[in-house]
Amino acid sequence: MALLKLDHISKTFGGLNAVSDFSMEIQQGQVCALIGPNGAGKTTVFNMITGVYQLSGGSISFDGKDLKGVAPHDIVKLGIARTYQNIRLFKKATALENVMTGFHCRTKANMFSIVFQRKKTLEEDARIRAESERILDYLGMLDKKDEQAGSLPYGHQRLLEIARALATQPKLLLLDEPAAGMNSDEKKELIAIIQKIRKDFDLTVLLVEHDMELVMNISEFITVLNYGARIAHGTPSEVQKNELVIEAYLGKGKGK
Amino acid sequence: MKTNMKSGALLKWAVVAAVVILLPLVLPNSYFIRVLDLVGVYILLSTGSNILTGFAGQLSMGQAAFYGVGAYTTGLIGMYLGWGFWQTLPCAILVACIFGLVLAIPALRLKGGYLTLLTIGFGEIFRLVMNNWVSFTRGPSGITGIKTVSILGFELATKTQWYYFIFAIATLGLIYQRILMQSRVGRAFIAIREDDQAAELTGIDITRYKIMAFITSAVYSAVAGVLYAHLTGYISPDSFTANESNFILWAAIIGGLGTYLGPVVGGFVMVVFPEALRALGSLRLVIFGVILMLVIIYYPKGMVPFFQQVCARIRTGFPNGPSKQEQKGGD
Repeated sequence: MALLKLDHISKTFGGLNAVSDFSMEIQQGQVCALIGPNGAGKTTVFNMITGVYQLSGGSISFDGKDLKGVAPHDIVKLGIARTYQNIRLFKKATALENVMTGFHCRTKANMFSIVFQRKKTLEEDARIRAESERILDYLGMLDKKDEQAGSLPYGHQRLLEIARALATQPKLLLLDEPAAGMNSDEKKELIAIIQKIRKDFDLTVLLVEHDMELVMNISEFITVLNYGARIAHGTPSEVQKNELVIEAYLGKGKGK
Repeated sequence: MKTNMKSGALLKWAVVAAVVILLPLVLPNSYFIRVLDLVGVYILLSTGSNILTGFAGQLSMGQAAFYGVGAYTTGLIGMYLGWGFWQTLPCAILVACIFGLVLAIPALRLKGGYLTLLTIGFGEIFRLVMNNWVSFTRGPSGITGIKTVSILGFELATKTQWYYFIFAIATLGLIYQRILMQSRVGRAFIAIREDDQAAELTGIDITRYKIMAFITSAVYSAVAGVLYAHLTGYISPDSFTANESNFILWAAIIGGLGTYLGPVVGGFVMVVFPEALRALGSLRLVIFGVILMLVIIYYPKGMVPFFQQVCARIRTGFPNGPSKQEQKGGD
């Protein structure tokens, strides 16, 4: 059974069809990419999966559960985490606090228990603090844990978003242009990190990316979106040869 | 090391506690102590504002309504039912929860300036209802003869007794604020302040936590209102104007939004300064306003972050002076 199944989903804003009749399936453990020219509707698809947008048509199921009407924060609890095209950290909180916030949906303390079940609260907090430090250590930025997230260098902010997403203990990780603004060394590092976390955290990954080198390198399957509709789907080599894809990216030639 | 730091912090707080306990004994007369009583009330008010605006990022300029909810619940229950503090307090907290919810529901849809306008409107509606519903609240003439607090048969009679009582409650309020903000709930508040959509997609039910922030803030303000009503024995709508809301918000801002001790500094400044400037006559509010503006222009983060900066500079600025190590050893 597919872990994530998008079944003929569409989204219209007023008269504009941002995504129309789009279908895709991701199997447990895969790394898939969603690519397409600017404005093709990739981020809209992410926003539909995470519940930010209501669907205009079709349905999405995750882990066998229909996501219709499920609130975004409950979708996170079901096991979908994401990062953003434009970094959206909690800037004035420290790196460690950002990761600890990720554990929110896996913890229980409330306004009363923090006083009346003090011991339990402190134990829970110590546990997620240790786990958050472990995640930061794993990503090689434990020494930055007490720095304000907003003052970290760009590359570290990107990593911290991934750390925060991992803290929610996802089954599926959505990465929205993770390589944006990175140089080629940083991209290589990112590829290594994605492959590492996928294995170590038992993740399924779906990424939106413009950087073809990264996409071709990392993905097992690629889905191509243009004007909100799927124009191709397959392995990297299949997609590279697909004429519709070449046309969408490079325009139509006069023919060989 | 760790135990040294712990005992150092303990010593610091012991000094603070000693100052707070001894302060009323060295002041020349009960006028000064009465001012301090109001500082205590203001610490609670600005803590409420600090939690809602400083930590959860929801700018409220209607805090006087919650303050009034506490005071009027006390006044009305006292007038109609003759109940005392130990009955009015839980009632006021309950009513504050309801009012917090009433404001939170429309507030969930609004952000920034629109939210601020909503809170101003809320504050004014409350004041106007208290002012105009004469048959129920006695309107502008207010409610008089509110009984003082009695604790196990002992009645708080002097301003000094009140001082200890109010500061004990304010201290509890500050301790809870700290526990709250260092917990999972506090992290959720801060996440909402920083980026509410990212907070939602990190698994935080932002609707629920915004409501909780409004209610918590309402309860703090209402407890302050209950204390104020029992302390002064008289309340009227004039005490809960939009200007009062501004003062409460200013207290939180001047102290330092999103800091644990900001409300203490802010509460002190906003109550003591206007009194201290009384000698200047009618110019005093102008001068007070200028002082506030200068503080906010030069130290927009507030006094507490400014003090922390100064302390840090002193510590690092004199590496060969009375060193950190020596101090730690001394502790």
